This record gives sequence, C-alpha cells and structure tokens, in this order.
Amino acid sequence: MRQNTLSRSVFGTLGNACVRSAISWWRVIHFSAVALVMALSPSIYDRENRIVIAKNIYTSTWQVLLWFTSLCALISLVLVRIIVVTAISYGLSQYALEVVVQVLVLELIPLGAALFVVLHSNREISSTLIGSSMHTDIVPRVIAMAFAVVTLAAVSSLVALVMAYVVVYGFSPWGFAEYTRMVGRVFDPGVAVAFILKTILFSLAVAVIPIASAMQARHESIGELGSVPQGMVRLFLALVLIEGASLAIKFI
Amino acid sequence: MQSEFKSQSISQQPSVLPPNIEFKALALVVFMVAIVCASLAYVMYARGVFERTQQVILIADNSEGVIVGMDLTFSGFPIGRVRRIELSDDGKARIVVDVAHKDAKWIRTSSVFTMERGMVGDTRLRVFTGVLTDPPLPEGAVRTVLVGDATAEIPHLVDTMRSLLENLENMTKSNSSLRASLDNVRVVTQNLKGPYGGLGVVLGSEINAKKIITMLDRVNTLLAKTDARIFGVHGVMDESQAAITQINVILGDVQTSLKNVDAVLVQAQAIGSNVQEATVDLVVLRKQVEMSLRKVEHLVSEINRKWPLSRDTELKLP
Repeated sequence: MRQNTLSRSVFGTLGNACVRSAISWWRVIHFSAVALVMALSPSIYDRENRIVIAKNIYTSTWQVLLWFTSLCALISLVLVRIIVVTAISYGLSQYALEVVVQVLVLELIPLGAALFVVLHSNREISSTLIGSSMHTDIVPRVIAMAFAVVTLAAVSSLVALVMAYVVVYGFSPWGFAEYTRMVGRVFDPGVAVAFILKTILFSLAVAVIPIASAMQARHESIGELGSVPQGMVRLFLALVLIEGASLAIKFI
Repeated sequence: MQSEFKSQSISQQPSVLPPNIEFKALALVVFMVAIVCASLAYVMYARGVFERTQQVILIADNSEGVIVGMDLTFSGFPIGRVRRIELSDDGKARIVVDVAHKDAKWIRTSSVFTMERGMVGDTRLRVFTGVLTDPPLPEGAVRTVLVGDATAEIPHLVDTMRSLLENLENMTKSNSSLRASLDNVRVVTQNLKGPYGGLGVVLGSEINAKKIITMLDRVNTLLAKTDARIFGVHGVMDESQAAITQINVILGDVQTSLKNVDAVLVQAQAIGSNVQEATVDLVVLRKQVEMSLRKVEHLVSEINRKWPLSRDTELKLP
C-alpha cells in the first residue's frame, strides 16, 4: 500500500516535470517563431528601431570583434601548430591541413562564437527585459545577437584559415593553389550547406532561447536569479543537439 | 501577441549612445556581408566552379575508395577532380573526371590512368604521360583505369598459397609421384651397392652388365696383340723407322744437287750484268766519237779560214 503510494508520487512528479518541460519548450519555440517573423517584417526596421538595432549590434559585435578575433587567432595558431607538428611526426602531413579546417573552422569556431556571444550578453539579457516591448527592445536584441554570432564566426573562420596557411606555408604565395584546392576538397556542397545551416541555427538559438527563457520565467513570476541559468541550460542543450546532429549527418 | 511577451516595467536605465553608431552598425553589416560573399566566392573558386573543364571518363572494375571531389594528379600535381561516379550498363564503375582546360595538355592519347589503393591512406587517381607530343585527349574520352591495389593482392596471394599447399600435400601423399620417384631412387641406390654397381643401373640388368665386362676383356686382349704387332721386335714401327732413314739420305743428295744448280744460276746472273754494263759503255763511246768529229770539223774550218787560198767570203757592195 505504502509502496503504491510512493510509486504514484514518483510518477506523478516525473509526469508533471515532463509536462512543464514540454510547455516550456513549446513557449520557447513559439517565441522564436514570433521573433523570427517580426525580424523578417520590414516594419521592424523603421527609423527609431534602426537606431536601437544599431546600438545592440554595436554592443554585441563591434565592441568585442577585435579582441575576440585576436583571441581566436591566438588559439588557432596554437591548435594549428599542434595538429601540424603531430601530423608531421606521424608522417601524415598531407592530412594536417584538412584536419585543421575540419576541426577548427567547421566545428570549434562556430560553437566558440555562439558560446562567447551568449556569455557576453548574459548580463544584458535581464536589463533588456525590464520595461521592454517585443517591437522596440526584444526583437532588436534578438537580431543583434544572431548577427553577432554569424559575424564572429565568419571573421574568426577567415582568420583561422589565414593562420593555418601561414603556419604551414609561411608568407610564401606558392602554397596558395594547393591550399585553395584543399579548401575546395573540404568544403564540398554538403559540408558547406551544413556549415552555413549550423551557424544560422547556432545564431538563432543564442538569440532566442535565453531571452525566451527569461521572459517565460518572468511571466511565471520566477525570480530573475533562477531564470537566466535555466535559459543557459536550455541553450547549451540546444547547442549540443545542433552540434551532435551536424556531426551525425557529416560522419554517419 | 506582443503584449503577451511584454514584461512589467520596473525602470529603464538611460544609456549614452556612442557617436556614429548607426554608421558603425551599417559598416559592420556591410563588412559581414562582404566576408560571407567573399568566402562563398572563394569556396566556389576552390571547387572549380569558375574553371573551364573538359571531361574524361574512367572505367574501373569497382569504385571502392573513389569519392566525389577527389583529385586526379599528374606528377603529383592535381589537374582534375572527380565530378560524379556512376554504374555503367556493363556493371563497371564510370568515374567522370573534370580536367581543367589549362591542365588538359598533360593528358594525351597515350596517357595511362591508374587507381592506387594503399594499405593505409586514401585511394589515389593518377595519370602518366610518356610521350607529350602525342595528340591531346579529346573531350569525353573513355579510358580504362589500371588498378594498383595492395590489398587486392591479398586474396590472390591466399589463393596461390592455397594451391601451393595443395600441391605440397599431393606431393607428400603415399601414392604421389614424388613418393614413387623416391622409391625408384632407393631401388637405384640399392642396385648401386650391388656387384655390378652403376653399370647395372645404367644398363638395366646384371646380364647386360656382364656382357659389357666380357666385351671389355676381349677388347683388352685385342689391344695386347695389336701392341705386339706394331711396337714389337720387327714390328710395323721398326720397319717404318728404317724407311725413314733411307728417305733422309735421299733428301741429302737432292739438297746437294740443288746447291750446285744455285751456283750455276749465280754465274749466269753475273754474265747478264756484264752484258748490261757493256751496253752502257757503248753509249758513252759514241758520245766521245761524236765530240772528236765535231772538234776535227771545227779544226778544218779554222784551217780553211786562215789558209792564203782561202776563199774571200766577204761581200763587197758596188
């Protein structure tokens, strides 16, 4: 009798948690759809909103672009050097550059850019919600964060490609043809589309999930302290799922 | 809908806008779009989208290890890339390769295409051109690929080893040819140990060997008799030696006669030379006589000139 009561209680708790989680994800998806539709509507880009979007882009991208790119170049330099030296020591130097591009440009940099943007904007998410409306505050913030992820990923990828070339060939121009051919071999149409799609999904996830979670928490009257970490957990889960799906499509 | 997401306002903190913020944001957007477009263009260029190409179709037994986008190399330089792989009507793999126009000159009608599969690493498509003066390969030419596959040799090697082991097993069976040969060798060696040894083995039986030995004995007897007749006292050799002595004496006489003939010839030669010298002296004598006659004539003329009755030969003009 007592055991039945206990199991009923456990299943009840689990069921409630699942239902709450499903509702919560549904609201995130709903918010994402609304934000995306609003971001694509021309009315959001009126004179007043353009200034707000410009301000958000300035804070989320312009201010961090230089030092994020520098940091990325440094990390790329170290990783490229490690991979190239290791490959040469095993007599597999012909695969070193391909591995560098596959690992660094296609996988690490988009993920790093997404995580960086979300961590950088974490502090500002709460202040965005205070006294804000979808039209004038939240959607510009969403647009700016998505833009930041795409821009940082694009610039860092470019810098990483340049660093890989410099590490392997130095500043000689004679390796350019071979390097270009290798890049063409790595970026076949499927991989290129998957890379673009993954970056866009990362940017959408970073732009939408934290704000949606925070708004939902505020709507359900949960304290601000609890809302942002919950959004982060959901965001990391989404990022891991996107990355896992990308890897699964590419290698399976 | 918007009101659903509106939050209850608390207060909005005033923020100071940096100068030219709209311009900076616009520049950033333009920069991002430029980077994305440039990257796309670069990848398309790297994939050879803007390159003029000609097709070469390679036929292989199977396309294992060949992937779309892999390179076709000439002397280690990539000159083409695989565009697509398909199954032909005869069940073979058709590998369609795009070769850049600027590199098509390296592929001639006599070029050989190979596909190499190593134990480690990826498959490689290569082209070898021995005679660069041959006509260039036409557009859409179909060529068969020679496959050099290290792992493909393993089944063949296993088959060969299996047949080798089967042969070895057959050779070592109780009724095998090798066993029979070894038995024969044993019989032969036993015969070699017998009274007639190798002779019996060679001739096949002891009777034949016995006949040979008898024949050898008779040959020995014959040789002894021949020796007595030829080299014995008053044998053929003694008489021959006496005849040779007589021939030597005759030859000595002939040699003496020839010497006499030589002396006669020497004298005849001396007479001939004297006659020749006399003929030379006659010419000199004739010249001396002619000279004396000319002197006498000159003397007569001189006398005639100095003589008082000499004729007046001077012509006087009237």
